[in-house]
Amino acid sequence: MDFASLAAQLNTEVILPELIVTATLLLVVVGDLIVGRAASSKWTPYVSIAGLLAAVGSLYFLWDKPNPISFLGSFNGDNLSIVFRGIIALSAAVTILMSIRYVEQSATSLAEYLTILLTATLGGMFLSGADELVMIFVSLETLSISSYLLTGYTKRDPRSNEAALKYLLIGASSSAIFLYGLSLLYGLSGGQTNLNDIASSITTAGLGQSIAVVIALVFAIAGIAFKIAAVPFHQWTPDVYEGSPTPVVAFLSVGSKAAGFALATRLLVTAFPYLTEQWHFVLTALAILSMILGNVVALAQTSMKRLLAYSSIGQAGFVMIGLVIGTDAGYSSMIFYLLVYLFMNLGAFTGVILFSLRTGTDQISEYSGLYQKDPLLTLGLSICLLSLGGIPPLAGFFGKLYLFWAGWQAGAYGLVLLGLITSVISIYYYIRVVKMMVVKEPQEMSDAVLNYPEIRWNLPGMRPLQVGLILSLIATSIAGILSNPLFTLSNESVTKTPMLQATVKPEKPVAVMKKSNESAQVSMKF
Amino acid sequence: MNLAEGVQVVSFSLLSLMMLGSALGVVLVSNIVYSAFLLGGVFISMAGLYLLLNADFVATAQVLIYVGAVNVLILFAIMLVNKRQDFAPVPRAWIRRAATGLVCVGLFLLLATMVVVTPWAVSTQVAAGNSAIVAIGKHFFNDFLLPFELASVLLLMALIGAVILARRELIPEQPTAPAQPPALMLPERPRELVSAGASRSAQK
Repeated sequence: MDFASLAAQLNTEVILPELIVTATLLLVVVGDLIVGRAASSKWTPYVSIAGLLAAVGSLYFLWDKPNPISFLGSFNGDNLSIVFRGIIALSAAVTILMSIRYVEQSATSLAEYLTILLTATLGGMFLSGADELVMIFVSLETLSISSYLLTGYTKRDPRSNEAALKYLLIGASSSAIFLYGLSLLYGLSGGQTNLNDIASSITTAGLGQSIAVVIALVFAIAGIAFKIAAVPFHQWTPDVYEGSPTPVVAFLSVGSKAAGFALATRLLVTAFPYLTEQWHFVLTALAILSMILGNVVALAQTSMKRLLAYSSIGQAGFVMIGLVIGTDAGYSSMIFYLLVYLFMNLGAFTGVILFSLRTGTDQISEYSGLYQKDPLLTLGLSICLLSLGGIPPLAGFFGKLYLFWAGWQAGAYGLVLLGLITSVISIYYYIRVVKMMVVKEPQEMSDAVLNYPEIRWNLPGMRPLQVGLILSLIATSIAGILSNPLFTLSNESVTKTPMLQATVKPEKPVAVMKKSNESAQVSMKF
Repeated sequence: MNLAEGVQVVSFSLLSLMMLGSALGVVLVSNIVYSAFLLGGVFISMAGLYLLLNADFVATAQVLIYVGAVNVLILFAIMLVNKRQDFAPVPRAWIRRAATGLVCVGLFLLLATMVVVTPWAVSTQVAAGNSAIVAIGKHFFNDFLLPFELASVLLLMALIGAVILARRELIPEQPTAPAQPPALMLPERPRELVSAGASRSAQK
C-alpha cells in the first residue's frame, strides 16, 4: 500500500477534535517553556479552555457522519462516541475553570497541570471511540497514568502521596487483570484485535459459551468497574478523592467515569454479543451493590469530599441501570443522566472548592451558617446537591425519572425499586448539608464561617471559579425544564449508532416526553 | 524424536523450572533485594521461552525492557529507600497465608482448566522469525498507526509528570501571609486539626 492510498483510507477528519486537543496541549507545553511560569499562567488556562471548546464545536460537524470508521478500524467515531467525547471535553473545560485559583493557591505550576489534564482528556476521548484492543488499552493507560499524576500533584502533602500511591497500585493491578482478559479475547478469536472481528470469529469457532470467554468477560468487567468505581472495585475511591486536589476529583468523578461508561458500552456490546445475559447479570449485581453501599455509607461521612466520593459510587450505580436493561431507552437515559450529572456534580465540586479555598476546610460541620456570609455559594451548592439527590424540578430529577422509566418499561422492576429507595436515602445526606448551610441561626455559625474572608471576586483566578459556579447553577436549574434538546441528543446518539442498533432488544420506539403517566407515581416518593 | 526436538524439550523444561522456581522465590523469600533479583530471573527465563517460540524480537524486547529497565528500576527504588525495619510478626499469620494460598491455587486451577478445555485456534502459519521486525514496523504504520501515535503523547506526558514529581521546588518563604497554606499542599487542612477546631467550637 503506497502512501497516498493509505492517507486516503485513514479518514483522519474523524479524530479532528482529538487533534485540536493535542495541538492545545503542545501549545501549552511549548508556550510555558518559552515565556516562563509566571507569564504563562495568565493565558494557558484560557487557551486550554478555548481548545477544549473548539474540540466540542468540531464534534458538531462530525455528527451523523456516513463513514465513521477511521484509522483502518482503530477508531469508530459514531454518534455514541461523539456524545461521550463531548461530555469528557466539557468536563475538562469546567474543571480547568475551577482549578486555576486552586492550583495557584497550592503554589504548584499551572501549565504542567493543564498538560496532564489535557492528556487525560485526550485519553478519555480516544477511549470513547476505541474499537480495537490495542487502541482501547493505550487510551485507557493514557487516561489512567495521567490521573495518577494529577492525584499526586500536591506532592508535599502526605495525603496526596498516599492517594496517588493507592490509586497507582490498585489501578495497575486492575489494568493487568483487564489486559489478561483482552489477551484471552485475542487468543480465542485466533489473533483478531478489532472488536467486531473478535465477536464474529468467536461465534464462528463456536466458543460463544465456553469457559474461556466467560473468564475474559469477568476480567474485562473487573477493569471497567475499577474505572467507574463500582462496588466491589471501589475501595480506592474515598481515599483517593480525599487526598487528591479537589479539581482533579471533579474530573475523575465526571470525565474519567464517563470514559469508563463509554468503554463498557462499546466493549461489552460489540465484543460479547453471545454473552449478553451474563454481562447484564454481572452488571446488575454491581449496580445493586453500588447503589446500596454508596448511598448508605455516604450517610456517615463528615468530610465533604468523602461524601461526594460515596455519592459518586451511588450515582454510578444509577447510571448502570441504563446500561444493563439494554434497550434504546436504557442507553439514551444513561447518556442523558451522564449529561445532567456533568453539570450538577461539577457544580457541587465548584462550590466545595470555593469554600475550601476561602476557609481551608471541607468538613461538613464547618458549612453551618454559610448562608449569612455567602448567599451565592450557598445557592449554587444547594441547587447542585438537591439536583444530585433528585429533587424536582432540577435536572437530576428528570435524569433519574428517565432512567427509572426506561428500567420500568424494560421490566427491571426490582432494580428500579431499589434505585428509588436508595435515591430517597441519598436525598437525606444531600439535604443534611443544605440544611446545615441554610437554616442555622447566626449564633450557631461554625468557626470557619465566622472568620469567613471578605468575598473578592477580583483576586486572580477567582473570576473563572465564579463563572463556573454560575454556569453550572444555570445548567442544573434549567436543564430539567428545558431538557428537550438533551433528550433529543441522547436519543439520536443511540438510535443512529449502528453498533447499538444491532444488539438492542426489540422494543417500542422511544418517546421523548412520556413522563406524565409515570411522574405521578414516581414523584409520590418525594 | 530427533536431536532438534530433544534439545527443544530439554531447554523448555529447564526454562520452565527456572521460571517457576524463581517466581516462587519472588513471593516466598522475605528479603526484598533477593526477590528483586529473582524477578530478573523470571524475566530472563520468559525471554528464553519466547526464543523457543521463534519470537526473537519479543525476546530481545523482554530482556531490554523488563530486565534492563523495569527490574533495574525496582532495584534502584529498593536501594534508595534503604530502610531496615523489622516488622512485628502478625498474630495468626498462617490464616492469611492459607487463605491467600487457597485463592491462588483456586485461580490457578480455574485458569488451567480453561487452558486445557478450550479448543484453541492454533495458527498453522510459519513463524515470522527474523522478519518479525519488518512485520511489526508495517503494522505500526498501518493498522496500528493511531495507538502508536497516541503512545507518543502518553510518553510525553509521562516525561513531564516524572519531571514534576522529581524536581526540587523552590518554595517561597511567606512570613507575611500565614493564612496561606504551605506550598504544594492541599488547601484543606488534615482532618485531625479540623476536628480539634470543631470540638473547640462545641465547648463554647
